[in-house]
Amino acid sequence: MATLDELRNTFFDECSELLLEIETGLSDMRDANGSEEAVHAVFRAVHSVKGGAGIFGFESLVGFAHVFESVLDTLRRDSSAATPAIISVLLTASDVLSDVVGFARSGEPVPPDYGSDCRAALEQLNRKTNDGAAADDDGTPAPAEFAEIEFTPVRAPDFDGEDEETLRSYAITFRPKPEMLKNANEPLYILRELGKLGDLVLVPETQALPPLSELVPSHPYIGWTGTLRTAAERSAVADVFEFVIGDCELEITELAPQPGADTVIEEPAAVPAAEQSAIAATSPDNTNPPAAPPGKDDQRPDTETSVRAAAAKPAPTTTRVDVDKIDRVVNLVGELVIAQAMLGQLAQGLSDEAAGRLSQMLDDVIHRTRELKDSVMSMRAQPVGAVFQRMPRLVRELSAKTDKKVRLEMFGENTEVDRTIVDRLGDPLTHIIRNSVDHGIETPAERRAAGKSEEGTIRLAAEHRGGRLVIEVSDDGAGVNRERVLSKARDKGLVQPEAVLTDEDITNLIFLPGFSTVEKVSDISGRGVGMDVVRRNIQDLGGRISLKSTRGRGMTIQLALPLTLAVMDGMVIKVAGNTYVMPMSTIVECMHRRADDSHNLLGTRGVIQLRGEWVQLVYLTDLFDLHATAHDSTDSVVIITEASDRMRFGLVVDELCGHQQVVIKNIEESYGSVPGIAAATILGNGRVAFILDVEKLSELAAESKPPTRAGGSTSALAVVNAA
Amino acid sequence: MPVAAALKVLIVDDQFSVRQMTRMTLEQLGIRYVHESENGRQALEMAALQPLDLIISDYNMPEMDGLNLLRAVRGHPMVRKLPFILLTGRGDKELVIKAAQAGVNNYLVKPFTAAILRQKIEQVMGKLS
Repeated sequence: MATLDELRNTFFDECSELLLEIETGLSDMRDANGSEEAVHAVFRAVHSVKGGAGIFGFESLVGFAHVFESVLDTLRRDSSAATPAIISVLLTASDVLSDVVGFARSGEPVPPDYGSDCRAALEQLNRKTNDGAAADDDGTPAPAEFAEIEFTPVRAPDFDGEDEETLRSYAITFRPKPEMLKNANEPLYILRELGKLGDLVLVPETQALPPLSELVPSHPYIGWTGTLRTAAERSAVADVFEFVIGDCELEITELAPQPGADTVIEEPAAVPAAEQSAIAATSPDNTNPPAAPPGKDDQRPDTETSVRAAAAKPAPTTTRVDVDKIDRVVNLVGELVIAQAMLGQLAQGLSDEAAGRLSQMLDDVIHRTRELKDSVMSMRAQPVGAVFQRMPRLVRELSAKTDKKVRLEMFGENTEVDRTIVDRLGDPLTHIIRNSVDHGIETPAERRAAGKSEEGTIRLAAEHRGGRLVIEVSDDGAGVNRERVLSKARDKGLVQPEAVLTDEDITNLIFLPGFSTVEKVSDISGRGVGMDVVRRNIQDLGGRISLKSTRGRGMTIQLALPLTLAVMDGMVIKVAGNTYVMPMSTIVECMHRRADDSHNLLGTRGVIQLRGEWVQLVYLTDLFDLHATAHDSTDSVVIITEASDRMRFGLVVDELCGHQQVVIKNIEESYGSVPGIAAATILGNGRVAFILDVEKLSELAAESKPPTRAGGSTSALAVVNAA
Repeated sequence: MPVAAALKVLIVDDQFSVRQMTRMTLEQLGIRYVHESENGRQALEMAALQPLDLIISDYNMPEMDGLNLLRAVRGHPMVRKLPFILLTGRGDKELVIKAAQAGVNNYLVKPFTAAILRQKIEQVMGKLS
């Protein structure tokens, strides 16, 4: 049994869901101009918050919810009364409610005057609409009993045996034994007697019935099961069988009054038919039981199905499961993925014939494992709505602060993704939206001048695309001012004066660390508040961020995130005899390196030309201090990767071993943070391999002095920048 | 005289936390057979399948609210006599009147204590033992 504290937490979790419903409902009301369903939904949600708060003793929460609810109650009766002014009060009220829930959760007392303006506004609405008719609508708790109602509790008839007509149901199984017929007892009479007690529904069991030629006339082949609805006591039912008690198999089980009733009521046609056939089977004298009539066997399954259909109609239910338990399953699935990879490896050593058959089986296992993984992941999944729900309020507050008119549209709130990702999406999204309102959307005057509607729109949309979660935040504001961004970046020394950058490159400068250190970001009309932090956050989640901007038309920031942090797609590579895994998401392309491809450049270990672009080469052997094998450096593979700062570099490795799903095993707990290593995984051969942190590798490459051969150490970044 | 430990009660509420609280309070009274449903429709299905002695239902629920559940129960030939206690919020007089007309056995104002719950149940079922 849950403790009270756990229940409280559950209540607050529910509150979050309810607050989201309130928020959504109010937006619907605003858009659809008072759709009735929306008002009802909001009312229900506020009412639930109030009810739960009452039960858990959060008086301040009850008080506020009550005033809020009263206004909604009035609107419920006349939804057309919900004017924009009223809805705006309600929106504020939902914010206050959310705060009061927050106070209750943290156990802090609500500050004395907190939300009193909002409360006053609500109370005024109540007075206006109700003319003060309902005295208890002023927020003072009504007494727990309504003295003025004449209500007499109605005594249930059942328990003192007053009610004679209370019906009981008995499940009856009756299978005569041969002795019964020998003792001259007639099953039919017993069944008739039983039928006199009430409504009897019996289904004959005819499986034992042999072909006619083998039939022994004196053998009772047929048994019956069914239900009896009757007012009679159990003993009265048993009395019917008094004389045959030892000569038959008999079970009488009392059911609640209800079962069976369902079948009788819902399937009136099937039951009498079954009953008839039951009687038909017994009616001729037992010395000559008839062969089963053709229709009978058809009927029986029918009735059975109907009984089962009624019994097996499960109500949709949900269970709350401890996340730890699910995590344990996730871990096990991870182990399974490894075990399966090992099997695959093993298969390679077998003879062709055996390997062929095994690999067929393995394909099947792989398929199932993937399904298993997906379903476990879906258990951990949470709709992104949990994060989205905070945004309307943010937009409201910011637009009030900046005197801008902003409207937030949200799509795909129900898109699901692993909860660890949901938990960590809040900050980056808040940053992005704040930027959009702060710097993207123009003031109403500017918008008018630009020929746009006064109200700016921010669109927040989530969807699954290509096995990733894609979140787009777009606005119809001014877009990035490239000239300003570029000049600022030059001032900051982030870009060489002579560098020629594409529009896209310039736009992406705002992701550079250092760019955001501009003291007052609103000084430049571009954006940049913590965009490097945003990028870092998204990257930590294994995601990518990209930005498109059209001057004067607005901009779109796109986040592409993995659906889970437990398993990922990786490329297994070999360097100097060691095996590593690179996240597939960081790989742009792989290429064989030919001797004439790479060029020596002072300060680097070489550069390679990729379709007109110079890309610096980075040797893993240098970074990790590995003993380079004697391989011919021209016979290696170059993996072109892209780190978050859009800096491309070519990682030189010895061999690509293949692409596979790998289970991410965190090593930070045991080894702390190792530069360049993101995590570890276990490969099919049972060996541990490190997963590379490409982001960090690019930094390491920038810091490390290339070995003496190349000499010098001009910043590697500058080279690529200038390219 | 109903024996608390043998009483089978169905709690209907869309909030898990409220159901759990009600369950805990019932357990304080020695009532151990407690079923739960999230809304009226589910409750009606369950009432038709489970042996029950008492329904304690919230009013405010999606799908089918408590009042409609009460009406459906009273209109159902097999469960129409099932004792029914409606949970209401404060100040919901109209609801109590409507519920009384629909044949509710008793009503219970949220929040409630174990003592009040006992009183309300005993008014309907007789003294618990």
